[in-house]
Amino acid sequence: MKDEFPTERSLEHPIIWVAVIAGALGSIILLNAVAWLAFPLVLAIVLYYLVQPLLQRLQLSGVTPNQALGIFLGAATILTLIASVTVLPALFNSLSDLQNQLPEYWARLQSVLHQNLLAIEGRFHFAKKAGLADGLQGQIDQFVAGSGKAYLADSILFLVHWLPSLLLVPFLTFFFLRDGTAFHRLILRAVPNAFFEKTLLLFDRMDGQMRAYFRGMFGLTLLDTVSLGLGLWFLGHGVGVFGFWDAMFLGLVCAVFAWVPYVGSALGGLVAVATCAVKAPSEGGLLVSVVLLFLGVRFLDEFLYTPMTVGRALRMHPLITVMMIFSGGMLGGVYGLLLAMPLIGIFMVLGQMYGEIWFDPRLRARQQARNLLEKRLASKDLEL
Amino acid sequence: MNLFKIFQTPPMDSQLQIVSGVPVFRECTRTELEALRLHLHERKFLAGEIVFDEGEQGEGMYVVISGKLRATRKGLLKKKTLGHIAVGECFGEMALLEAGPRVATVVAEEATTVLAMFRPELVQLAESRPRLGYKIARGVALVMEARLRRIAEGQPEEVAAT
Repeated sequence: MKDEFPTERSLEHPIIWVAVIAGALGSIILLNAVAWLAFPLVLAIVLYYLVQPLLQRLQLSGVTPNQALGIFLGAATILTLIASVTVLPALFNSLSDLQNQLPEYWARLQSVLHQNLLAIEGRFHFAKKAGLADGLQGQIDQFVAGSGKAYLADSILFLVHWLPSLLLVPFLTFFFLRDGTAFHRLILRAVPNAFFEKTLLLFDRMDGQMRAYFRGMFGLTLLDTVSLGLGLWFLGHGVGVFGFWDAMFLGLVCAVFAWVPYVGSALGGLVAVATCAVKAPSEGGLLVSVVLLFLGVRFLDEFLYTPMTVGRALRMHPLITVMMIFSGGMLGGVYGLLLAMPLIGIFMVLGQMYGEIWFDPRLRARQQARNLLEKRLASKDLEL
Repeated sequence: MNLFKIFQTPPMDSQLQIVSGVPVFRECTRTELEALRLHLHERKFLAGEIVFDEGEQGEGMYVVISGKLRATRKGLLKKKTLGHIAVGECFGEMALLEAGPRVATVVAEEATTVLAMFRPELVQLAESRPRLGYKIARGVALVMEARLRRIAEGQPEEVAAT
């Protein structure tokens, strides 16, 4: 008879998979319920992973971890002060210009939409019969006059509500950077001896997953911004649609949209096409070029940028990915959309490791033996 | 009040003093040991409790701070005791280099306190302090070299080969 005990069980156990998905979606609901805290917390975690390599570089030059943190904080404060004096006024001016131009852009967008719908009506009889152009126009007018205003008011209130919580971001990031290791040790103290090594491995894998994901996403956003920005500038500056920085800004917006897999890229493309349609309604060729540019960047994303940055660690079946994103969006709004993928990545590691620990009868037996020893020790003089 | 006392280095904490005597860490300076302290996890084992099993994937090494342990290996008929591990000795250091299976089972013979250091954390530490990482890796290599030499000379295997 074999005296070996099984140490590895199937990690594709359906219960674990259900728990992974339920855990990720449950966390989205929880984070959404405490959004004012979750938002700065997530931002601080992202910043922690982005700043950590800089501190490591500083430590490589011979300074202590605390000195490295001090140097970084000093530099960050100086940069923030310079930015608030130079960049912020320019940014506010641009935003003010944009606000003034918004009604005109909105009118142009509606006009472009209306013209295109009329063209569809001209080609397809059933569309004309259904009154597609006028019907949609009526619905847009109704939305803008009614629930659109309420929605805008809600959004503004939401912004006012969570903006102060942003002040927590530097505070949380500082303590993550300073006391991260000590905090990590403190949590591990609570883990029983039998599970200690495996739990430490779990922490390491989770840390690695999050580090790779956030740093990868940062790199991917940079690459997408530069590719889309340069492409849009190249296509648009000839017909006076985009200046260099306008194109880069639009590229950045689209790259941020692309944080949400599949759906985000399509939305980003729509935003760019709509911008071109508004700024140069008569340039039909430009719209086609922009669509081609987006398809090209999507292709680069898939086969070059993503493997270079985020890697394939979080790759899942596209159906599961889209279902998770939509479920996340439904349960947690914008948070859900953005956090669905990293959360499922974390819960996948948790599920995998939990499976390894839980289905290891030897580890459980060792823990039970420890409990018995403890009990025996505590009742030694009780003459039970 | 003795003002010169301000400039005197405070004495090293007792656990770190023990760590500084372990061959793997012998080349580390005091500052390096203090940096290392953040990555050492204190674990307490009861008499009779298993620290790790033979065949289990090893993730790190342990330094004995107090108490005593026994290392055993499965034999043909019964378990064979390889020896005892006392205060100031380390075991499981092979796992600092690679996650291989443990070659022996280690059990606490009495209430024991150990400091554990794990490979993923050593890798992380070595990324920010490569000099310290090098010293520890060299320390492990020297311990291995001494062990291989003893085996080659026909001397009995040592307990620390866990």
